[in-house]
Amino acid sequence: MSFLQPLLSGILTGGVYALAGMGMSLVFGVMNISNFAHGDLMMLGMYMAFFAFTLLHIDPYVSLVLIIPTAFLFGFMVEKLFINRVIHHPHQNQILLTIGLGLIMSNTALLAFTSDPKILTTTYSSSAFNLPGGISLSVPLLISFLITGVTIAILYLFLAKSRTGMALRATSQNREAAQLMGINVAKMSAIAFGIGTALAATAGALIAPTYYIHPLAGHSFLLKAFTICVLGGLGSVVGAGVGGIIIGVVEAMSSTYWSTDWKDVIVFVLFLAVLLFRPQGLFGKKGGE
Amino acid sequence: MKKKFVSIVTAVLLAFPLLAKAAPVKIGFINSITGKEAQIGENLTNGVTMAIEDLKAKGIQVELVKEDDGGDPKNALAAYEKLATRDGVIGVVGPYTSGCANVVASRADQYQVPLLVPAAAKEEITMKGYKNVFRLNAPANVYSMVLMDAVKAFHPKTIAYVYAATDFGVSTVKTAQDNALKMGLKEVANEKYQQGQPDYRPSLYKVKAANPDLVFLVSYDADAILLMRQAKEIGLTPKAFLGAGAGYTTAQFAQQTEISNLVVSATQWTDDVNWAGASDFGRRYKAKYSKEPSYHAACAYEAMRIMVETASKTRSAAKLRAALKSGSWNGILGPVKFADYGGFTNQNNHPMLVQQIQNGKYETVYPSTFSKKRLIFPFTR
Repeated sequence: MSFLQPLLSGILTGGVYALAGMGMSLVFGVMNISNFAHGDLMMLGMYMAFFAFTLLHIDPYVSLVLIIPTAFLFGFMVEKLFINRVIHHPHQNQILLTIGLGLIMSNTALLAFTSDPKILTTTYSSSAFNLPGGISLSVPLLISFLITGVTIAILYLFLAKSRTGMALRATSQNREAAQLMGINVAKMSAIAFGIGTALAATAGALIAPTYYIHPLAGHSFLLKAFTICVLGGLGSVVGAGVGGIIIGVVEAMSSTYWSTDWKDVIVFVLFLAVLLFRPQGLFGKKGGE
Repeated sequence: MKKKFVSIVTAVLLAFPLLAKAAPVKIGFINSITGKEAQIGENLTNGVTMAIEDLKAKGIQVELVKEDDGGDPKNALAAYEKLATRDGVIGVVGPYTSGCANVVASRADQYQVPLLVPAAAKEEITMKGYKNVFRLNAPANVYSMVLMDAVKAFHPKTIAYVYAATDFGVSTVKTAQDNALKMGLKEVANEKYQQGQPDYRPSLYKVKAANPDLVFLVSYDADAILLMRQAKEIGLTPKAFLGAGAGYTTAQFAQQTEISNLVVSATQWTDDVNWAGASDFGRRYKAKYSKEPSYHAACAYEAMRIMVETASKTRSAAKLRAALKSGSWNGILGPVKFADYGGFTNQNNHPMLVQQIQNGKYETVYPSTFSKKRLIFPFTR
């Protein structure tokens, strides 16, 4: 079997991981909060895509135009109602609050949607492009990778060029100084959390056609997103992007050349190695919190 | 004074009919109501609910204490200990998964409360000589044995294994390897996976490269759909996909006709076998829950029926154990007897069935004494 197959497959899967990690990293960067409800926000994205598909008959990828603004508003509201109350409190309070919010979301979903996993089957759910050399690329994964690429490009342009984006970055670099310069940091926090939620929901919607949709499905992605954030450097959006791809490729490579059973071990050994030699993560700032 | 008198009289009058009737027999039920295995757990709950209703209609009063293990062995053990000590039940039905049932079974002799396992397949559960552990369903070795017997006539030569890293997965594949060896099948790939991953392609590519005649799969729930979807995507086409129970026997899997058609699976029960009341149970279940019953529902129904009927006659844990050991029953799972054979203790020697999904419907295809349809071989897309 070609070496390229697991590499390409891993990059495609890593794209979705990257998107999940970036939302978490952005929230951490701007607000200095580890959002442990991130996986459950992904789960909400999955259900939104599922219901858009079954009730409104909208393709899961097209439904993103509905999901992204809805999720942004939801995140914005959650920040205004809950998160901003703990923003100046110790980390353990923030972690407890986000874990609690996550539990409420997943258990509400359990009550409302039952524990039956939902399967979103589109016409292309199990189709693939066959490239020369016996390599095949999953159509849904390829589409999600392209959408991830576009989303990252838009996010980059927004953060680099727009006034709000610059204000977000300024808040991320130094909250007090940004406030002294007249930036409304409370609003920036709500926007950052809104964008983080929208990114999580997008990741959820992108994975929905190739995965199963379950109230607890977010939990396995939470750990992955957190690993990706720390690997890339907490708060670094670029780092999370790269970290996601690395994890995707390492998983695919270790399942191919070693054993699927061992892939998590290999991922976490690599993770520990990075932390030993670069405690701030791959793209993290030295001396940062 | 008058008020007090009236209330005493009322209390006595209210208490009297209770005294006239026999106290209900107290039975525990441990199941995975939440957690990863909750979907299949729901089938067991439904089966038990129907059993209790049927028993009540027959005039047998039962007080059922339900416990959730969330698919976690340590919760299952805590639930059993609570049922045995605090609730004072005289018998317990459950837990669902092999992992949970195995742990609970290891403590049953300590608490002396008989445990009737309805659907967990790990062989070890009834192989340690526990006096208080009884199992209704066939153990893991029968899953692979019956599947391989069904395809024997087509002379396959090679086999690949793809299975979840769970007690059920590992023990089923271990016995499948023994059976494959006896049949002279050559093992060309062995892929164990962690549940709930989004990407099984690397494992499936390895299996595809080995080009096996048979692919033997063990998965729970939605993983089965994910695996078959990705198998189709990468073009893995063996002569037969053999699914050992669980995720390959759900109605949801059958509905995904594009990926599930012609998949062969082993099951403890179907509604078209000629066991007493099987088709009637299937019909009533569909009417009540508006979905197809899985074998788990039938096993749970029968386990609870046997447990309560026996317990209501014996009324103590020790007598219940003796009655389960010596008794025999006949119902929707065919003849039931808890016997000692081939290293097993208190194990019902249950004949398993092989079914194949044909046009979105499970059809029993083996053994021929129970089946109406024929096995379609080889597998085509």
